[in-house]
Amino acid sequence: MSIVLRISLIAVSFLVLLFVLKKIRRSQLYIDDAIYWIVSAVLLLIISIFPQIAIFASELFGIQSPANFVFLFMIFIVLIKLFNMAIELSVQKHRLNRLVQKLALVKAEDEHFKEP
Amino acid sequence: MKLLIIIPAYNEAENIETVVDHLIEHYPQYDYVIVNDGSRDQTPEICKRKNYRYIDLPINVGLTDGVQTGMMYAYRNGYDYALQFDGDGQHDPRFIETMLEAMAECDICIGSRFVTEKKPHGLRMLGSNIIQATLKLTTGKTVKDPTSGMRMFNRATMKAMAENADYGPEPDTLAHLMRSGAVVKEVQVEMHDRTAGESYLNLSRSIKYMTHMCFSIIFIQWCRKKVKLKGGNRK
Repeated sequence: MSIVLRISLIAVSFLVLLFVLKKIRRSQLYIDDAIYWIVSAVLLLIISIFPQIAIFASELFGIQSPANFVFLFMIFIVLIKLFNMAIELSVQKHRLNRLVQKLALVKAEDEHFKEP
Repeated sequence: MKLLIIIPAYNEAENIETVVDHLIEHYPQYDYVIVNDGSRDQTPEICKRKNYRYIDLPINVGLTDGVQTGMMYAYRNGYDYALQFDGDGQHDPRFIETMLEAMAECDICIGSRFVTEKKPHGLRMLGSNIIQATLKLTTGKTVKDPTSGMRMFNRATMKAMAENADYGPEPDTLAHLMRSGAVVKEVQVEMHDRTAGESYLNLSRSIKYMTHMCFSIIFIQWCRKKVKLKGGNRK
């Protein structure tokens, strides 16, 4: 891994950490949801400070350049998050629709079945 | 024996009056409810002005959850049967009587265009044939008109429709319920062309619908957890 890539990764990790902490301070992000990003940023930080990890892993998997391992690792992190967010979105859609249905039903039944 | 006709309506201002007035005038023995699915046209105003019985969904939740709202209403208020009925004038209430009679020996009755009538050839029926084939493949049963939107449900299947997520009023749900043991019967009906407004299905939407349905019936439904149907006509 080139020194430029390492420095960039360290900088990016710090920026992510700062950004996440700022969002928590302003209550724009739940702590539960922030932990994922903090852990990811710390992992990235560790890899860029100790490139031996990436070198070891890339040799283990037969990946030519340690930088490619870092990219693969980040793609995995993003894919996992993307999939979890797709699930979360479905759950939210379901909850919103259920809420709207209940609201409309209560209102309708109130009108249709009230005593004259 | 109480029947509820569920009429999902999304931007149906042009048709809804004709359809519902016809029902009220000629078929007062059946209850009906309109589900206004967050229409942006005059649909809710018409329902209010004409004093129709309607459920007003404040946002558009889509056909699946719209029809489900009707199913919830039917189930909660003790109806024996629920009929899914289009608000655009395609379905003819003349055939409700025979469908009701057929409910004695099935869980879901489909108002089918092709029981005694032969299915015409051509591009429009290609989709119907493909879905029929996938249903045959996955359930072993023949449904001659799987895309017909005129379907009647008994308490058991109504409950399943009302309580579970993603039970769209579509052939894939039919496949799922059949695999769960629901008995499906078809009754010959006639259908009309829409009286006004444009059909939702154009070529690209039809292709998307077909792909979605086939994929869902073949690959997704088999891994779905079967629903427990209580009562009804299962052995």
